Amino acid sequence: MDQETVRTICYLARLQIDEDKAQKIENDLETIIEMIGGLQAFNTENIQPLYSPLEKTAFMHEDIENSDNQKEKFLQNAAVSNEDYFLVPRVVE
Amino acid sequence: MSIQFKTIRELREMLDKKAISSEELTNETHKLAENLKDLNCFVTMNKDASIEKSKIIDQADKADSVLSGIPLAQKDLFCTEGLRTTCSSKILSNFIPPYTATAVKKLESAGSITIGKTNMDEFAMGSSNETSYFGNVHNPWKKGYVPGGSSGGSAAAVAAGIVPAATGTDTGGSIRQPAAHCGITGIKPTYGRVSRWGMIAFASSLDQAGPLARSAEDCAILLNEMSGHDSKDTTSLDIECTDLLDTINQPIKGLKIGIVKEFDLGDLDSEVQNRFEDSKKLYETLGAEFIEISLPNISASVPTYYSIAPAECSSNLSRFDGVRFGHRAENTEDLNDLYIKSRSEGFGDEVKRRILIGTYALSAGYYDAYYKKAQQVRRLIKNDFESAFKSVDLMMTPTSPGTAFAFGSKGAQNPIELYLEDLFTISSNLAGLPAISIPHGKVNSLPAGLQLIGNFLREDQILNAAHIFQKNSEFHLDKPSMEEF
Repeated sequence: MDQETVRTICYLARLQIDEDKAQKIENDLETIIEMIGGLQAFNTENIQPLYSPLEKTAFMHEDIENSDNQKEKFLQNAAVSNEDYFLVPRVVE
Repeated sequence: MSIQFKTIRELREMLDKKAISSEELTNETHKLAENLKDLNCFVTMNKDASIEKSKIIDQADKADSVLSGIPLAQKDLFCTEGLRTTCSSKILSNFIPPYTATAVKKLESAGSITIGKTNMDEFAMGSSNETSYFGNVHNPWKKGYVPGGSSGGSAAAVAAGIVPAATGTDTGGSIRQPAAHCGITGIKPTYGRVSRWGMIAFASSLDQAGPLARSAEDCAILLNEMSGHDSKDTTSLDIECTDLLDTINQPIKGLKIGIVKEFDLGDLDSEVQNRFEDSKKLYETLGAEFIEISLPNISASVPTYYSIAPAECSSNLSRFDGVRFGHRAENTEDLNDLYIKSRSEGFGDEVKRRILIGTYALSAGYYDAYYKKAQQVRRLIKNDFESAFKSVDLMMTPTSPGTAFAFGSKGAQNPIELYLEDLFTISSNLAGLPAISIPHGKVNSLPAGLQLIGNFLREDQILNAAHIFQKNSEFHLDKPSMEEF
């Protein structure tokens, strides 16, 4: 794993790594990826991935209107909002 | 009258006999928490609301539930309406949830009283409680030693006798390993038994909530209430949950216990091996039979987990963007900059490391090699368990390779050193199986845990085996002196 790859992953994850920690993170990622790489030794030919321990179709519930939509409560946790919306820096000039 | 170290059963009796009122019990619990605040096991207390609720409970003539008036602590990963929920992260340090997690709601509806929210590894990512934004939790058995993680605050609060029980969550061992390091009992239920709604997600296909308590019986009391279908969680099992107390006292004569031959205990501290052998002997005396079983792919558990869990974490934690809730960075240039700065300021190092690993495992060109491959190996591991359970009722392993360790002594140079703490616990999360940790003596003066892994939805069997063990031993009655605190 080189610095360029680490930079790309950081951007994809929308994370910035402090300069003084960059080398340590790079080494840690390298070590962990190497450990995960050990999985290649296992023969998984014709084995279906197991994405959840419960191999059942997700439970569906009826689409019934309820009163759980609590706009004021949800907006309260935003750092910046107005009466109706979460506010962010301007995206369209 | 001291309430410290009392079990739910004992507190129930005191309340029923009017030896103490619920209000007095709640006040005493807060006093204990205050006196023992150096443990750092709580992030937020729920003082006023808990005392208010206790007064209402005292007005009833008779308790309608065993949990009525019983103080509990909730891991700070469960959303609690109106009560700050931080996941021990800076990014959620001011988050007040608009709703309560189903598991907590069920416990509260049964009359229990939420005393406060417990410290934990940030977003449940850690095995030592050293990644919390709010600082390390001390192990009640030894100051300066870790309580285990990620449910370290819950385990310490129970072990210190502040509350008789607490909630936790377990993604790779986060209930069982801290229970083991703190000398208490903790159970991770079958995936899907307890609703995950309102739990702040780490790895959705592995996370499961469960109780930590002073005995297997008290764990059964809590789990009875926490279990059950919830239409708000699409992975919640729609099954009839039987009363786990009905079968807890059954004799275990003829119980077949599997010993996993691939787990070579020869590498562990000889005292860890001795405790394990002693527990085997006790089970044999009680009529259980030991059978060697094979889980041929079990050595893949740790790499499988550290591919899947970070991948799911990177996806789940993408919701923390500084816009709708949580920390928002100031002085940002544009929306992208707001995302990057808010997340970079808000998350700690271990969380960042796992998000980056997960992002890498899911990125174009690596998805098949890491994420898909890990999910295929996961099926091999689950198949191994299915085969092995044809010849045994449950399996037995140490919970953890060692005991609690000093702050900063593991994982600083190499994160994998700490990841290996979960060597024995991770596989049951991958396969979705229930598993319990019970105390079974000391290693170098610190508690050691014994793990029993059950077949799918067979919590009744592991709780039964754990309870019979506790009826015939006194390890779970051992208490820390607390002189250092």
